[in-house]
Amino acid sequence: MSLTITNRPADFADYWAATLAKLAALPVAPELTELPIRSTDFGTVYALQMTSLDSYRIFAYYCVPHGAGPFPVLYTLPNYGSVVHVPAYEERQQSIVVALCHRGQRLSDQPFAAAYPGLLTTQIATTQDYIYRGIVADCCRVVDFLQTRAEVDQDKIALVGSDLALITAALRPQVDALYYTPGFFYGAEAVAQRSAAYPVEELNDYARTYPEQAAALWQTVAYYEPTHFAEQVRCDTLLVTGADPSQTQPLVDALGGNTTFYQSAHSGYRDGVHLATWFSQRYGLTAPALPAQWQ
Amino acid sequence: MPTHDPATYPTAVTKPPDFDQFWADVLAQAAKVPLNATVTPVPMRSTATVEVFEVHYDSLDNVRIAGWYCLPRHRPHPLPAIVYYPGYISEPTFPKAPAAKGYATFGAAPRGKLRSNSQVNPGYPGLLAHNIIDRNSYAYKGFYVDAWRVIDFLQTRPEVDSSRIGIRGGSQGGALTLLTAAMCPTIAVAAAGAPYLAGVVDAIELTNTYPYQEINDYLRIHPQSRAAIAECWSYYDCHNFADRIRCPIIVNIGLQDNVCPPETGYEVFRRIASPDKQLYPYDGHAHDAGSFYHEAIVDAFFAKHLQP
Repeated sequence: MSLTITNRPADFADYWAATLAKLAALPVAPELTELPIRSTDFGTVYALQMTSLDSYRIFAYYCVPHGAGPFPVLYTLPNYGSVVHVPAYEERQQSIVVALCHRGQRLSDQPFAAAYPGLLTTQIATTQDYIYRGIVADCCRVVDFLQTRAEVDQDKIALVGSDLALITAALRPQVDALYYTPGFFYGAEAVAQRSAAYPVEELNDYARTYPEQAAALWQTVAYYEPTHFAEQVRCDTLLVTGADPSQTQPLVDALGGNTTFYQSAHSGYRDGVHLATWFSQRYGLTAPALPAQWQ
Repeated sequence: MPTHDPATYPTAVTKPPDFDQFWADVLAQAAKVPLNATVTPVPMRSTATVEVFEVHYDSLDNVRIAGWYCLPRHRPHPLPAIVYYPGYISEPTFPKAPAAKGYATFGAAPRGKLRSNSQVNPGYPGLLAHNIIDRNSYAYKGFYVDAWRVIDFLQTRPEVDSSRIGIRGGSQGGALTLLTAAMCPTIAVAAAGAPYLAGVVDAIELTNTYPYQEINDYLRIHPQSRAAIAECWSYYDCHNFADRIRCPIIVNIGLQDNVCPPETGYEVFRRIASPDKQLYPYDGHAHDAGSFYHEAIVDAFFAKHLQP
């Protein structure tokens, strides 16, 4: 059964142009503070703080290997949950690695601490105020920061993650590559009708509790549908699929750049090796950054 | 790939002679704190078939702990219960879907997790190394008790058949499952995935992956603390609790697990005293421990023993 994608809002481009314009009006104002307990003999780990939309200060781990740069960048976009791990020890050895904590997640949770469940529907009935508008801006802000850094190889910035990664790749065309696994914004309205799994169930909870706001909720979600961003993605994209290719066909049809595919093995090991190999081969690293158990 | 056989890797974990006394003292201290449980309906998350509640209770050091509690609306008889213990960085499970199958379900949120962090909040990273050189103030002391007190709560509930309580979880949730099966002898059945906090002094030699890497990070700054950490962890390691487990239990591990190395999973399974135990080692899997395939096995195992 194929997935039905809701229509793209008529003012979709204007909504995002206005968002990016508001963000651009704010200086990045980066502050880097070394975290000695995470730094090693091969690299330095920094706490990176920046200003994002609505003057919100956000946190990211910024890991730079020792040696002569510039280095490729592995920028991992945040998942749905309050905690973002320190970037992996192995990945930090060959590349700059960035892990963002978007607004509401721990270390970026002042003044706003996200609830789980709850984040997905925070301010959702008002498209202009929806929490994910700021979260998308947070994700873009990291790219803005990277573009100011001499140690970054500006031709080798790769994004890895779910819908936030694809949206960031669309809104920040400076990135070179995208490794994308579709997430809860993809076909959200259709998926919600047949699933009670969180976080999508948050949408159902909200619509059931506030039926008078249901139409507004689905309208807001449409602004975050990855398919509507896909044609703006110009970088090379690796799309991670499930067993049923019809589920990702709308995305495949819409993606604007060169797209390759990988079917998930539902194995952290096999999927992890694939990602590390993809990154390593793309940027000519000596070997994929793999933990001992995967070698 | 490691050159040794993970199934026979020798552990460096030792059991201190006063291990039992240490935990008896902790439990005696906890027993002085009344549960003071409150159960508050959450209409927004409830459906036509499942009622959702937010639970709060008091635990060690009078820390207030939260949890999600879900009940099928139709419950003519006392229900079997399943407790879901959370992973290290995971949010507490919101177990609404399994409640629709006829279980009372509880998503535990030990101290430091969201909604249980107003008094204690070591953070992530942070929890694993917080006061790690002192067993008496180590962060996991209260955290363990918080997990065990979920069972105390369920045993007070008239809608729950307290002889049919199952427990489960993956990673840290797998560890809490083992620890609770060991310390709460009324547990009827348990399923632990990729158990964390087992063979910790071995794990930090076998992996550089977080969360265990938090200890290696700590040791880089405080190299003189290695012995103190090993001593503290001898009181907390799942290896030293496993011989108390008597209930039917299944354990699944990933043979390429870089987070909780399989060497530690094999050893903790060996130490489980229950005669009704089974290990599911998944080759080709990391910390997922084959969960994509194993979930159906856990469901059937609980259905067999808990009879929803």
